[in-house]
Amino acid sequence: MRPFKYTHVNTVQSATQLVSTHSNAKFLAGGTNILDLMKEDVERPDELLDITFLKVADIKMITEGPNKGGVSLGALSNNTETANHELIRLNHPLLTQAILAGASAQIRNMATNGGNLMQRTRCPYFYDVDMPCNKRVPGSGCGAMEGINRMHAIFGWSSKCIAVYPSDMAVALAVLDATVQVANSKGQQRRIAFTDFHRLPGENPEKDNNLLPGELITAIELPPNKFASHSYYLKVRDRASYAFALVSVAAGLELNGNNIVQAKIALGGVAHKPWRALRAEELLKGKEATEANFQAAAEAEMNQAKPLEYNRFKVELGKRAIVRALDMAMNNGSK
Amino acid sequence: MNQENENPDLTEDEKKLFKDLMPEDLKEIMDTGFSRRHFLKLISIAGTGVLASHLLGAEQLLARPLAQPSLNELTTAQVENGVRVSFKVNGFNKNLLVDSRMTLLDTVRERMELTGAKKGCDHGQCGACTMIVDGKRILSCLTLAASCEGKSVTTIEGIANGTDLHPIQAAFIKHDSFQCGYCTPGQICSAVALLAEAKNGEVSYVTDQVNVPKKPLQLSENEIRERMSGNICRCGAYPNIVAAIREVQSGKSVEQKWNFAG
Amino acid sequence: MEANKLTGTPVDRIDGLLKVTGKATYATDYPVKNMAYAYLFKSTIAAGTITKIDSTEALKVPGVLSVITHLNAPKLNEKGGLRGGALLQGPDIEFYGQHIGIVVAETFEQARHASRLVKVEYHKSEAKVDFEKLKKDAVPSKNEDLKRGDVDAVFNQADFAIDELYATPIEHHHPMEPHATIAVWEGEKVTLYNGSQIINGAQSSAANTLNIKSENVRIVSPHIGGGFGSKGGQWANLVLAAVAAKMISRPVHLALSRQQMFNSVGLRQHNDQRIRLAADKDGKLLALAHQTTTHCAINDEFVEPCGDCSKVMYEVPNSLISYRVIPMNIIIPTYTRGPGKSTGSFALESAIDELAFKLKMDPIDFRLKNEPAKDPSNGKPWSSRKLVECLKEGAKAFGWDKRSAQPGVTQLGDYLIGYGVACGTYPARQRDSSAIIKLIRTGNKVKAIVEQAAADLGTGTYTILTQTAADGLGLPISQVQVTIGDSDLPPAAGSVGSVGAASYANAVNEACEKITNELLAKSGKQFFVRPTAAQLMLSEGIDAFQTRMDAKSPEGADAYSAHSFNANFAEVWVNRSTGMTTVKRFLAVTAAGKILNPKTARSQIIGGNIWGIGMALTEESIIDPRWGNFITRSLADYHVPANLDIGDMETIFIRENDIIPNKMGIKGIGEVGIVGVAAAVANAIFNATGKRIRHLPITPDKLI
Repeated sequence: MRPFKYTHVNTVQSATQLVSTHSNAKFLAGGTNILDLMKEDVERPDELLDITFLKVADIKMITEGPNKGGVSLGALSNNTETANHELIRLNHPLLTQAILAGASAQIRNMATNGGNLMQRTRCPYFYDVDMPCNKRVPGSGCGAMEGINRMHAIFGWSSKCIAVYPSDMAVALAVLDATVQVANSKGQQRRIAFTDFHRLPGENPEKDNNLLPGELITAIELPPNKFASHSYYLKVRDRASYAFALVSVAAGLELNGNNIVQAKIALGGVAHKPWRALRAEELLKGKEATEANFQAAAEAEMNQAKPLEYNRFKVELGKRAIVRALDMAMNNGSK
Repeated sequence: MNQENENPDLTEDEKKLFKDLMPEDLKEIMDTGFSRRHFLKLISIAGTGVLASHLLGAEQLLARPLAQPSLNELTTAQVENGVRVSFKVNGFNKNLLVDSRMTLLDTVRERMELTGAKKGCDHGQCGACTMIVDGKRILSCLTLAASCEGKSVTTIEGIANGTDLHPIQAAFIKHDSFQCGYCTPGQICSAVALLAEAKNGEVSYVTDQVNVPKKPLQLSENEIRERMSGNICRCGAYPNIVAAIREVQSGKSVEQKWNFAG
Repeated sequence: MEANKLTGTPVDRIDGLLKVTGKATYATDYPVKNMAYAYLFKSTIAAGTITKIDSTEALKVPGVLSVITHLNAPKLNEKGGLRGGALLQGPDIEFYGQHIGIVVAETFEQARHASRLVKVEYHKSEAKVDFEKLKKDAVPSKNEDLKRGDVDAVFNQADFAIDELYATPIEHHHPMEPHATIAVWEGEKVTLYNGSQIINGAQSSAANTLNIKSENVRIVSPHIGGGFGSKGGQWANLVLAAVAAKMISRPVHLALSRQQMFNSVGLRQHNDQRIRLAADKDGKLLALAHQTTTHCAINDEFVEPCGDCSKVMYEVPNSLISYRVIPMNIIIPTYTRGPGKSTGSFALESAIDELAFKLKMDPIDFRLKNEPAKDPSNGKPWSSRKLVECLKEGAKAFGWDKRSAQPGVTQLGDYLIGYGVACGTYPARQRDSSAIIKLIRTGNKVKAIVEQAAADLGTGTYTILTQTAADGLGLPISQVQVTIGDSDLPPAAGSVGSVGAASYANAVNEACEKITNELLAKSGKQFFVRPTAAQLMLSEGIDAFQTRMDAKSPEGADAYSAHSFNANFAEVWVNRSTGMTTVKRFLAVTAAGKILNPKTARSQIIGGNIWGIGMALTEESIIDPRWGNFITRSLADYHVPANLDIGDMETIFIRENDIIPNKMGIKGIGEVGIVGVAAAVANAIFNATGKRIRHLPITPDKLI
């Protein structure tokens, strides 16, 4: 870990101003990812702006949104309090499950909602500074492309990068049609649709998301949803807990009797961002909620995948996971 | 005294579960998630006197003042980007100058002679460094000391109440919930915090229904397993860790499973 | 044994109180004054030579005291007994991640940062790191082939036969305590705080490597944060800490990071095991060939003996056990829990299950049918062998009769449920060990101090020695203090290869007998009933008395084949959609001689079982063959089982009174608990799904 200046910031305004004027400064919230990466020498800020002392009212509240059932999540609320907040548990249980599928109790007590969106990939070539990685050092090449890419993307990757986005929470947020609220140093607010927040790697894998320099996430807003009683977050992994996803599925079904008014599905562990399964959603719209229809939708979605040498299994696993998650959503998550 | 009003959160199931407990136990369980008195009873049944020597040992060990730990002050030459920070450790106020890079784990271990918390991975992947900060379990290896200003930190050295072991500590001994012992301080801090989380009604990934209002939870084995999965134990003491926590959380004796045959 | 009251009972772990209060001291828990911090840096090539090291930037970092590389390190004895080389003695690189230098600084933060700033240039040569490509070049190992009869001829004519390849990946020990050393010099003498499974071995290898006398090295290791073989033979960190401390004339703290653990302290090798197994139509085994191909260091051989179980498990007239090995640019493998037997039993016991299925025989009946009357590998009689009891008691307790012989038919919701069984064995031995017993009388109380350079890495040594001494001296547990883990104490065997308990406890037991005899002689009296040492101290009014016993492994034990045996039963639930497997229920039935303490013994067995479940389902270290580095270089990538991975674990001990291997009848349990486990799980997965997975670990992708 390189030497860095440690600075408390007290207002959103001063935080965004400092990060704009100090070119190599970064925000410190829960620290669960950035300190890990600084110890690995992957992240090398020369200043950390500790935003955890910002006022509760500015950025740490979980409050009911303007529409009944809508919720605003403070960016600095931690994962545990978010997952267990009654507004979330009762109205957005999918988010509760997704958050609780990630990391460990200790980490969720530290990690913040904003920080969760700012996580970096767990690609081992990104994490090891002695390996090539276009995300870490643009132009150095992708170690994973011809390497051990079992954990890597099957959708939306580019010749520059095949990393996947590691968050579970974000997969649920993609389904919940969340909006990310950000502030900049001029005191302006901006809202970004969640599905536009993260990027595909394209030519610039060093950019994980569409935040502009100097912007700070202040809140994540969730509109009311109509599938609170028919949703499920399924995570498939190499061990039962405390492991990143091979494939995960967030599924929500808005039903009219046994008819699907609308299905919302997103996949984790398969792309550089939470992957909305739009083709599957489209196919399910207006259909009966049957195993055969789930199967057809999953096939249609996963058949678009472009697997790599060691992750072909994710195509079949994705199909099965989508069907299973939809089944579970039908049963309201009962196992 | 009207017990119903005393403990409005108690469900019928929980009442059944605790029916052999005294009203005082019930109150204590509601307040803290466990019953000390009832627990000691369980121990004395199970320990057949062997444990007495341990408890004697406990008194001797813990009778020594909980190390008002010395602070190894660094010179300014030794510190780059020094940050002066004040926080409580096991109830004692600490004020010290730290390198901005220094983690809470390294600060407590290298500067305060509190070496109970362990460095197993230093990257948030094992849980051996778990401490309780402001009532919540956290990973001290991913916490900067500089960011602890004004906080209250509890390490394994601060878990016992004077000369009384915390029931989780006693249950870990009874159930042999460790072998090498290196992950144990983290496991115990984690388990102590878990009791409060359950009392607070926090759900987990293996909870069947999460879209229900919060109420104190009686944890199944699988719930304890999931909630303790952030603490890796390479010796494989997991079943014994689960047994210890289950016993404390439920206030009911949990059986050890071994048999002789042949 | 009739007088014994405490051995055999579930006494709570003596070191438990220290461990639950955070007071047990591991290698880096000593408040040494004026200590500096060292941080290793490592090669980023797998083969070649260092052409240039530029430490300029590192030395500019405030607080940095020294950068030590092969250019300025003192000359050490590379054949002094440490494993894995990497002692900074020259520019040659033999594996990726070889230590190439140390930065020493005032603080840990400074040392770690500066270690990143050292610039190293290499001349790279072609590295041998791709096992699959190099397999064909494997050469015979130092382990000689063992041949009996003619496997090929029988195999080709047999009614029922299988010929399959079983592969187990590289695994890492990953004790929770990463290897670490604090070195403190006082004149000619150095004290090394360092977790050591073999205290005296650590002492002599450190001394030999440093070219100093053994008495000038003290190893302090009262508690060890796990070892599993990786802290048996010692590695470079032990001596490099001493080198750094000498060079800067200050105590030095050197701890490996978890990432550095992957290429610093050995590993369990990858094994390709070809098993050929033939039987007649009645299920009598005719031939067994177990041929292992593996890798070792580029210039040093270590091969874990995968064929060991195949030598002794079953009666088979024609047998072949062989090893072929590829020298590779990977750190040398080393002993890892159940060395050879754990991985070898996966292959053998999977094959047995496969052949039983072909024969349409119950796999338990198949095993019972091939039970050998004596050790088939050498014709020696068994000292005792209760494998049959393990299988029968286990089948009863587990409810084996509820198993469907037909795979893939037992379902519950989205789960496929299966039962599996597999057996294991591990040799029982006693090694020479000494012990001192000191008795001190205060008024009418006698206290004993037991001293021995034994190790407790969670194995329960403190507890079983306390029980043994309390019984042997006639004292309550509270009056016995066991002091171990220090090379200043009488020398003892290592806590390795399941010899710890037998070696330590027998020495202490004999020391108790000896001190009692000496007290009797001193009293000059005759007694109708033999008094205890404690009674003699009181009756004779002796204030202090001590003796030393140098116990030897028993004569005549070699005439017998002495082993522990087990039978493992697994119930798995495989999720049909996701391929995720849960071991819902696991039962290990173990015949391992005298169980000194069923509570700590059960923990050991369960611990071994959980290692086996990890081997079966989650653990794998993967090398990128382009560089030779591990890409699974953290505990987030290398999956040790987590709490939720483990279901109900049951343990049954088969009573066994076998005093051939040693007087107390102890066989040792540290290893046998893992042997046969992976096969039991894999066999259960076959029973659940009809899928036979021969390449561990069985991750979800292999089951969909």
